[in-house]
Amino acid sequence: MDTPPNLARAQWMSLLAQADPAELVAAMDGFAPPADTAWLRPAQTGLYMLRGRVGGTGPQFNFGEITVTRCSVQAAGHIGHAWVRGSNARHAELAALADALLQDDAQRVSVQRQVIEPLRHSLDQHRDKASRKAAASKVEFFTVVRGE
Amino acid sequence: MMLAAFATTVFDSQRTFRELLQAMARPAAPRALPILPPSPASIAPAAMAVLLTLCDATTSVWLQQPQEDAVEHLRFHAGLRLAERPQDADFALITDPASMPSLTSFAHGDIRYPDRSASLIIQVAAFGSSPCVQGEVGRGSLALASTQDCTTPPQPSPVNKGGSSRAMHFAGPGIRETEILAIDRLPSDFWQQRAAMSVQLPLGVDLFFVAAQQVVALPRTTRLLES
Repeated sequence: MDTPPNLARAQWMSLLAQADPAELVAAMDGFAPPADTAWLRPAQTGLYMLRGRVGGTGPQFNFGEITVTRCSVQAAGHIGHAWVRGSNARHAELAALADALLQDDAQRVSVQRQVIEPLRHSLDQHRDKASRKAAASKVEFFTVVRGE
Repeated sequence: MMLAAFATTVFDSQRTFRELLQAMARPAAPRALPILPPSPASIAPAAMAVLLTLCDATTSVWLQQPQEDAVEHLRFHAGLRLAERPQDADFALITDPASMPSLTSFAHGDIRYPDRSASLIIQVAAFGSSPCVQGEVGRGSLALASTQDCTTPPQPSPVNKGGSSRAMHFAGPGIRETEILAIDRLPSDFWQQRAAMSVQLPLGVDLFFVAAQQVVALPRTTRLLES
């Protein structure tokens, strides 16, 4: 499954899911759903159970439930899927539509340029800002060894 | 390409489930399904409505004719597991009744768990019946308003008795006296197979017949009367 096309798709799906909904709406403004658009699975919200392992090696445990909205659409002859955190149906619909358009050779370049790149840039900036903020509050711990 | 399923998954499947319950409670009386979802060519929309309502990732389904588009559609929308052999299935979809396997090849449940048995969804061409309306019996009376909650059976009327030779009389729990129904194009020994299974009650298989927009249930307790 890690062939380059699947990997690229996984990356843009991940980016679309993590994007800020307002930014995604603005970026997708120029891409109206094509005439042949069929909503195979209208946006529906449910719960997923997150599971974790302590240290990545311990036994699995249920970490908690998370709200997820999913949507599947068929547009431009391709099927786009989206799973996004939260209950924003519009976010899931646009992410699914963008996934379908990105699989279409005719539209991939323009969607990449107008949607994916700006979202990636803004996500990077957001991450950078958060990590700077965290770095500024870094505390060095040291232990005073009691001499005998 | 793929098709959509129920437009509003929860409410549409609940309405369909209600009709299926009612069909099971009043065996041999056709009822109209409220919603017919889009479906691939090999599966009738009514059968698709039943499958989408009853099946999910916890049930296994055996398809008589597992065509690729149908399999893909069901996997995507219902998330169901496909059974390789009829005896492993919780539900079976029979799309060509004339060549269906024997009823004995499906799960009957065991005596401690009679519920571990198969339900068959059988696509047929048409029902001929007149559970509520006196008169026309036999093939072609499909247009009957089957949603009417008519539980009063026909006093087995002379008209019915003299009707099509295919019309059959059913009795059992949920039927006040008898119910009359004709089902086309079943294998010739289908009713003998079913009668042979009735001796092992409470084990057995339950049947849903679908034609056009209608569904008829024949639970294992419904008896075919010799007429």
